[in-house]
Amino acid sequence: MLEVRELAFAGNEEGVSHRFAQGSITVVLGRNNSGKTWLARSIAGLEVSPPGTIWIDGQDVSALGARERKVGLVYQAFVNYPTLNVYRNIASPLIAAKRSREVIERTVRELAERLQIDALLRRFPDELSGGQQQRVAIARALAQGGKVLVMDEPLVNLDYKLREELELQLRDLLSTGELVVVYTTSDPKDAFKLGDHVLLLDDHRLLQSGAPLDVYRNPATITTADLMSDPGVNVVDTDTGLRPEHITLHRRSASDLVFESVLVGLETNGSESFLHCRWSEQDWVVKLSGMVDIALGTGLQLFAHQADVLRFGGARGGD
Amino acid sequence: MVDPVDDRRKAHWSLYVYCVYLLLPLYWLVGMALKTNQDIVGKFEVVPGNPTLANFAEIFTNPVWYQAFGNSLTYVTINTILSVAVALPAAYAFSRYRFLGDRQLFFWLLTNRMAPPAVFLLPFFQLYSAVGLFDTSIAVAVAHCLFTVPLAVWILEGFMSSVPRELDEMAQVDGHSFGYFFFRLFIPVIRGGIGVTVFFCFMFSWVELLIARTLTASEAKPIVVVMTRTVSASGLDWGVLAAAGVLTIVPGLAVVWFVRRHLVRGFAMGRV
Repeated sequence: MLEVRELAFAGNEEGVSHRFAQGSITVVLGRNNSGKTWLARSIAGLEVSPPGTIWIDGQDVSALGARERKVGLVYQAFVNYPTLNVYRNIASPLIAAKRSREVIERTVRELAERLQIDALLRRFPDELSGGQQQRVAIARALAQGGKVLVMDEPLVNLDYKLREELELQLRDLLSTGELVVVYTTSDPKDAFKLGDHVLLLDDHRLLQSGAPLDVYRNPATITTADLMSDPGVNVVDTDTGLRPEHITLHRRSASDLVFESVLVGLETNGSESFLHCRWSEQDWVVKLSGMVDIALGTGLQLFAHQADVLRFGGARGGD
Repeated sequence: MVDPVDDRRKAHWSLYVYCVYLLLPLYWLVGMALKTNQDIVGKFEVVPGNPTLANFAEIFTNPVWYQAFGNSLTYVTINTILSVAVALPAAYAFSRYRFLGDRQLFFWLLTNRMAPPAVFLLPFFQLYSAVGLFDTSIAVAVAHCLFTVPLAVWILEGFMSSVPRELDEMAQVDGHSFGYFFFRLFIPVIRGGIGVTVFFCFMFSWVELLIARTLTASEAKPIVVVMTRTVSASGLDWGVLAAAGVLTIVPGLAVVWFVRRHLVRGFAMGRV
């Protein structure tokens, strides 16, 4: 079990407090410079003593350096020891812990198999593809045998296909029952794919936390709603909003809300289309499936269910 | 319009001319080393008519010559080891830590290289005589450190800074002690940089004449000094001098051969 209490970023009065449940993956979601990496590094012990405390298994580890903490870390950049082969790379934390040869051999082979890099053990990191390098880094982080694994945007530097593939495997790989996984990302899709819990950060502050779907349905503020939405949330007024995927061009029930707007932009990728509309001084995005063929400048009637309207009545509403 | 092929041919041609210009004195040196004194002063030949190895034999049998080589190699080796050993931790500090006056200190290290060695002759001579180190290899090695250590720090800092800091942090997260990280994980990564550093320390110390001559008298006299003093009753011994010159170039060539790949990287980083 991992807990951070009142962990505050330099200059912030309000700290981040959260309990990360054992055996679960918590996705930390935030934009660039929102404090994801800072939180990840703080948990790993790499930030110089931030105010606040960090507890692992009921023990305050705030005073311990990264060497003494049993926290695995996977960076966004693929960091491996370039002069060691894959086997020695994975074995690194075990060598540091002075494990016996047999234990090292067994653990490395077992982890390599789980991460499907058992055929590459004699290779060096620069002979591997990006995906394989990151697998090695993950294996090494797991080899530490700690109860906490921190992954700081581990898949960002991978190309799209590899990302999807590794993402699917990560879920099975990481739900071992006893590991606390902290996974930072800026992509809301990751929260749904991987997260048992999601933690939204902005400006090094905690915005909201909970199960991904709960947070998706009941965002406390417009910032929260925006973070969990791709593309961003359409603003109706200061405390109501509409998600792009909840707007249609056809009335589905008599009680639907109607918005008179003008089409100003259109983009499509074949399976989805994004309509950029202008509604009462606001720029809206409407997400539709398939392709649409409407001339720019056309007046559009947009419809939305009453129930889909987001009302930001949360504790921190109004900003 | 300029014909690109013609242009390139011109460029090649000038390169060949430049190479010949560079290599001609070297060729002449090797040629002289293989000739007798009579042939050297007596006639003009591009290719030695009756080549001889007598000059090299003289160097390998005459203690004045081979001891001088030994002396040079001794202080050059001490200097190189000392410089790298001192510069490694210093460069690491400059590369990884921010401390008060770090930039100023780093720049000051460089300014040491701006003073001509001659400036230090008198203090060195007086100082080493006073502490009884005069005419020893150690004196020359330590004196050369004044120039090679800043150079080594400068070069190594460049190589170290090109290694991502995440590597240091990863070693911490893995639980390695600093010593283990530095010697077992970090140094192997920058071994190319160490090679380049060794090369430059070696070359400085090997060709430096002024300090080496001032701090030695007879016991530790280095090869460059012996070469400038070899005038016998029968005049200059051209052939032997040329042979000594050839042999003086060999260690440098050997070091260049070992670090040739890393040298290019060092140049690319603007540190060399």
